[in-house]
Amino acid sequence: MAELTYRDAVAAAIAQEMERDERVVFLGEDVAAAGGVFKTTVGLLEKFGPRRVRDTPISEQAIVGAAMGAAMTGLRPIAEIMFSDFFAVCWDMIANEIAKARYMCAGQFSLPLVIRTANGSGSRFGAQHSQSVENWAMAVPGLKVVAPSTPADVKGLLAAAVRDPDPVIFFEHKGLYATKGEVPDGEYVDQLGTAKVLRQGSDATIVALAAMVPRALQAAQLLEKEGISATVVDLRSLVPLDTRTLLAETKKTGRLYTVEENPRLCGWGAEIASIVAEEAFYDLDGPIVRITTPHVPLPAADALEDNTVPTVERIVETVRRTAG
Amino acid sequence: MASDDIDRSTRLALYRSQIEIRLLEKRAYDLFLQNLVKGTSHLSLGQEAVAAGFATAMRPDDYSYCTYRGHSHTLARGSPMVGVLGELMGRRCGLMGGKGGSMHLTSVAHGVMGSYAIVGAHLPVAAGAAWSAQLRGSGQVAVCFFGDGTCNIGAFHEALNLAAVWKLPVIFVCENNQYMEYTPIRSVTAVQHPAADRAAAYGLERIVVDGNDADAVYRKARESIGKARGGGGPSLIEAMTYRTSGHSRADPARYRPPGELEEWTKRDPIALYRARLLEAGFGEGELRAIDSAVQRAVDEATETAKASPPPALEVISTDVWADGGSSWRN
Amino acid sequence: MDVVMPQLGETVKEGTVTAWHKKPGEKVMAGERLFEVTTDKVDTDVPAPASGVLARIFVPEGGTVPVGARLALIEEEAGAAAEEPRLSPVVRKLLDEHGLDAAQIRGTGAEGRITRRDVLEHLEQHDAPADEPRRMALSKIRKRTAEQMTLSWRTIPHVLQAVEVDFQAVDQARGALSYLPFVAVAVCRALAEYPAVNATFEGDSLLLHRRVNLGIAVDLGEEGLIVPVVKDAAQKNLPELARAIQALAEKARQRQLVPDDLTEATYTISNSGRFGTLLTAPIINPPQVAILSTDAVVKKPVVVEGAVVVRPVGVLAQSFDHRAFDGAYSAAFLRRLKQILESENWSAALASRGSEGT
Repeated sequence: MAELTYRDAVAAAIAQEMERDERVVFLGEDVAAAGGVFKTTVGLLEKFGPRRVRDTPISEQAIVGAAMGAAMTGLRPIAEIMFSDFFAVCWDMIANEIAKARYMCAGQFSLPLVIRTANGSGSRFGAQHSQSVENWAMAVPGLKVVAPSTPADVKGLLAAAVRDPDPVIFFEHKGLYATKGEVPDGEYVDQLGTAKVLRQGSDATIVALAAMVPRALQAAQLLEKEGISATVVDLRSLVPLDTRTLLAETKKTGRLYTVEENPRLCGWGAEIASIVAEEAFYDLDGPIVRITTPHVPLPAADALEDNTVPTVERIVETVRRTAG
Repeated sequence: MASDDIDRSTRLALYRSQIEIRLLEKRAYDLFLQNLVKGTSHLSLGQEAVAAGFATAMRPDDYSYCTYRGHSHTLARGSPMVGVLGELMGRRCGLMGGKGGSMHLTSVAHGVMGSYAIVGAHLPVAAGAAWSAQLRGSGQVAVCFFGDGTCNIGAFHEALNLAAVWKLPVIFVCENNQYMEYTPIRSVTAVQHPAADRAAAYGLERIVVDGNDADAVYRKARESIGKARGGGGPSLIEAMTYRTSGHSRADPARYRPPGELEEWTKRDPIALYRARLLEAGFGEGELRAIDSAVQRAVDEATETAKASPPPALEVISTDVWADGGSSWRN
Repeated sequence: MDVVMPQLGETVKEGTVTAWHKKPGEKVMAGERLFEVTTDKVDTDVPAPASGVLARIFVPEGGTVPVGARLALIEEEAGAAAEEPRLSPVVRKLLDEHGLDAAQIRGTGAEGRITRRDVLEHLEQHDAPADEPRRMALSKIRKRTAEQMTLSWRTIPHVLQAVEVDFQAVDQARGALSYLPFVAVAVCRALAEYPAVNATFEGDSLLLHRRVNLGIAVDLGEEGLIVPVVKDAAQKNLPELARAIQALAEKARQRQLVPDDLTEATYTISNSGRFGTLLTAPIINPPQVAILSTDAVVKKPVVVEGAVVVRPVGVLAQSFDHRAFDGAYSAAFLRRLKQILESENWSAALASRGSEGT
């Protein structure tokens, strides 16, 4: 085991996969010579050379389109979209082309590509550079969606994403880049579509994603002191979705809470809530409650931004108020 | 003829390819009137020479990308007629088993890497395929066909720029049929030639070719493909042509000025080519034999496709993922 | 609604409020302890007469007033009648599963709600004493069977008759088949000759059925008994009947029977054989007039032509409706049944293919 930062785990995963498979290539803006604007891809150009690690112009459609063309002709590309907000700039490529191509051609080709991006708030960048848009990707059939919360999960899940034969949208959280964690040594591959139970409780099940996971854990610790014992589940993947763990853990406590950074309407938690309400209705001891960012664009000022996205206090207060 | 740089068999191939496209597109039109082809279809009647010219110059392992007006390009690369007609009619024998439809004809086995319905989307994809060939050192090239309207969309600019900067082995071919859907292209474009007049912006040569002359297209294709294959980078070619039918089946094309259609019909690529071949000493009988053989092939393909059943309902949930399924949960 | 000083004894004329358990503005539920009263005879907790909000208290603690005097006012909420408190889905499920009543459980959740934990804790505590009777909820099938059996027993005068049958001939031919299809074939044959047994009693007449729709009782274990019906059993030969019975039993066990499978029986066979019983007095399924029980076939010593031999012997017992026919008729039917079973060419019957011209 070694302690790595979340950002270093990104570079480590890409390096591991590029080493293992010469078909893996990487492209994006400022990713090669500069090592990435978030310093997530430092050292890759030096290690693998300019054929396989390429800087592109500011051309999101061309970046993602080229990744698609390369993926359908024998390569396994990783494309970076600097900020997940920019998916809106190349959404045709992702939602209309990549997500649907295999289906429309009845399986004549597959698209083993990864689009990795920096998602989420906390950096005071303002509304167009701070969004959580994992729910956009979840809503389009044909895309796998991953959002790790720890360096180990970054390494293992990014490796799994590269090895996956289908398009994977990999949401890194920019607010977590500096966090540290233990990462297994050597070749490490995790499994997409598997949630992790980080804490077992008996009164409530809290399901969270990415940067909301550490907050859920902190909240659970505080709630324990008040006599409310909470399970915390890190969902890790939205597609494929680990509904088995979701249902099993909800049944154990009878209460489900989601903690979502995306805006309220049609956030990923709405789908979770719907599945649980339908398939575990008779095991519910109370209403399913979603704790989300309200349905507003994100404000820029630090005091505002911090109080828009779910805080530890809001999680604790909500669970305490509704757990009885 | 200007020179004898195109051999006899190539000339016959060019002729045959155009006839195949013409007769199949006519059949597609008839089938639409009989309500056997549903939805919409975009025909290439009048534009056969561009597809034939390039396809004949390509290697079987080269990649081609085209738009929703892609029956011609799909056929020209050798895809089976029954697959094309079957797909248009939504039958099991369709190239994609009825999953894609007229606008998305794909036959990877023939290098047809998809037909694309969103204007401009496939240009970056073609660039990506070219990048892949370059990286692998395979010598393959990608040829990307699109219309005059595409030259005004963002993805055109991004793809051309990237291809030029990375010197990718991709040939961008603009089939300028004068109309962007229902609107004359000149009225919505800042320059006269929507593709060729922008080549300089990417450091590329300005190339305009008579899209209704199969030999001219073939020569230009051979040249640009050779250049790309040899590491010389991308080309942007504007082929001037005309579509004799409407934009799509729904369009009776009343926006054409009077006389325009007649003018261009005089320059019908197949009539032109036939005259040239006869003049060059090819036998009338030889050409007629090709015509009949192709008509027979179209007729057989039509009957076979008509007899093919609709796809099984099970395929609704297949092939989202590489494992053949569509499951999003455990 | 007014809260008044209650009459706590026949001769009591007044009372003193010693304590209020709620404050003005607080919610109150009908039946909940509201205040305490003391009279010269007794101290009592008095429940609220309605649900709502305790709007005003007119007589404070310590106040003494005559019986009937107004003590307080409860503002009732529309529809806030003190029905059951809301039960969550899992609480309902647990109560149902364990045959509990919500009233038995103390609620510790918000506003006195019964939580999942409350039920689980109750179960834990109440599981302990071994002599407390445990309530077991009955399945839908069992409840329905109870109704049907009661109706039958109450309205039909049952008479039981039995014959002992030598199953040697059947045994030699049956191979892996059970005795049931053979009995079924014999029953169909015998019913043709004794039509009153395949009928419905209608007060002043007997409705003789042309078809034989044979009900075959299937045991579903704890869930209960179900009787799927082989329609037109008399048109089927032995192999067909065996298959039909098998298929229905399978369907029953898979819980895949449809309403059509369970209606229009004209006669029923209840096969208790595999439980090893000697004799069973089955209960008739109205509107039928008889039912046959087949019990265990065991090797027994019998006398055949003066010698004692070992034969596979089983009892066939018929309960019949004495309003429809008499003992002599029933006995004749049973004798015929026995005769068919003991002397039929069962090997030939087994080998027959296709319905014989019907």
